[in-house]
Amino acid sequence: MLEISRVEKAYEGRNVVDDLSLAIKKGTVFGFLGPNGAGKTTTIKMIVGLSRPDAGTIRLEGRTPQDPAMRAMIGFMPEAPYFYEYLTGLEFLKFCDSLFPEIDRKPDAVYTKTLAEVGILNAANRLIRTYSKGMRQRLGFAQAVIHDPDYIFLDEPLDGLDPIGRRELKEIIKTLKSRGKTIFFNSHILFDTEELCDEIGIIHQGRLLYSGPIGHFTKGKSLEERFVETVKAASPAKA
Amino acid sequence: MKNILVIAQNTLKETIRDRILYGIMAFAVVFLMFTVFLGSISLGEDLAVIRNLGLAGIYFFGMVVTIFLGASLMYKEFEKRTLYFILSKPVRHRDVIWGKFLGLVSSVTLTTILMAVVYLAVVAAKGGGVDAVVLEAIALQIAEMGLFVALTIFFSTIAAPLASTLYAILVLYIGHSLSLLTSAVKTKPVIVQKIVLVIYYLFPNLEKFNIRNSVIYGIRIPWPELFLSLAYAIVYIILLLLAATAIFKEREL
Repeated sequence: MLEISRVEKAYEGRNVVDDLSLAIKKGTVFGFLGPNGAGKTTTIKMIVGLSRPDAGTIRLEGRTPQDPAMRAMIGFMPEAPYFYEYLTGLEFLKFCDSLFPEIDRKPDAVYTKTLAEVGILNAANRLIRTYSKGMRQRLGFAQAVIHDPDYIFLDEPLDGLDPIGRRELKEIIKTLKSRGKTIFFNSHILFDTEELCDEIGIIHQGRLLYSGPIGHFTKGKSLEERFVETVKAASPAKA
Repeated sequence: MKNILVIAQNTLKETIRDRILYGIMAFAVVFLMFTVFLGSISLGEDLAVIRNLGLAGIYFFGMVVTIFLGASLMYKEFEKRTLYFILSKPVRHRDVIWGKFLGLVSSVTLTTILMAVVYLAVVAAKGGGVDAVVLEAIALQIAEMGLFVALTIFFSTIAAPLASTLYAILVLYIGHSLSLLTSAVKTKPVIVQKIVLVIYYLFPNLEKFNIRNSVIYGIRIPWPELFLSLAYAIVYIILLLLAATAIFKEREL
């Protein structure tokens, strides 16, 4: 279980995440939604240990993100990922996998299978500097799941993908969900979120506006309609 | 330790595939060949000129590679956010710093050895042999470059590549002028001498690694002195990398 309790984070005196509390059960697909600059990326960075909260606690199965044992349980895909340009996709995947403890040397077939699943097997031995934006996105996803983690955190995973790529990645997320994986992803693509998630959280200006099952939130309306209503209601009226 | 080696291997792979490294190496090889011509116009001192300029060339191009790659190494990790991949895994900050250091040192050592092979081939072609002191000089150059890699990694955790490069060049200049500086202030007021003393202990004394003159005259360096210089480099490197790790840990990504 992922437990976020009263977390705060400020940059240059401005609260980017303000008193955030969330509890996400194992096996849940959780969509974290919000407009640009709402605090989604800051939150996910704190969860995966890239940034420390100013206040509050984050625990995954009782461990904090500063504990390497916690980070061994997770996979993370950053938003618009950058790579080591002079490595090949296959080399990069092996590099990422080898940073986990007690992982036996895997045969190349394991890596090529993952690259095939995300649709870039034909570019496995090409330098990453020749990859398109969509291919980089797919490689970023591959490195997040290569060590078969129980918890997967994805920051805008469907950004930069064409419709076919989005469809393929969504199918992989559904397969991971059917295998009992817990998936937390940031997104502002509401249609895809509706299709994939069991639960959602809505954040705006650093404050959590809703957290819970998607059906309770939409109440018969479309997710987009309810999302816009909720965010507008929480925004200060323009002069 | 495993993660340090994995990151080192990755850094080595990344740096030796950088095309700019090949550009610098091509210049170095051309320069080493050119020393033959310079030797031929030196009125019978061919070998001394080739040895002197050759070692200076290895040093110069080695330093260019070190400063160029070292200054941007950590900065690129921050700026391009490739650190997100590494630090979201069970990797500690110190693993990143030490891994980057070992990877870059390996890369710099490989390029120095390559230049040394060309240098020794040129010397042999002109009838010279391989003296132990030549190998000692190259070993000390590698130690100095190791110290410099640590220094550029330290600077690049706190500054942009251009500033890191300038700081590194400044330290290079001061580090080679410390002995001159201390003798120049012997007749100056005590306060000036004290300031220079602080500078003397704060900056690395890089002249400890310069035995190029001994190579020309074929004078061996006593083993204790050699080991002391290597130990000096190791202690300095450890202190710099500890400081770099402490800064890196506190830095917001």
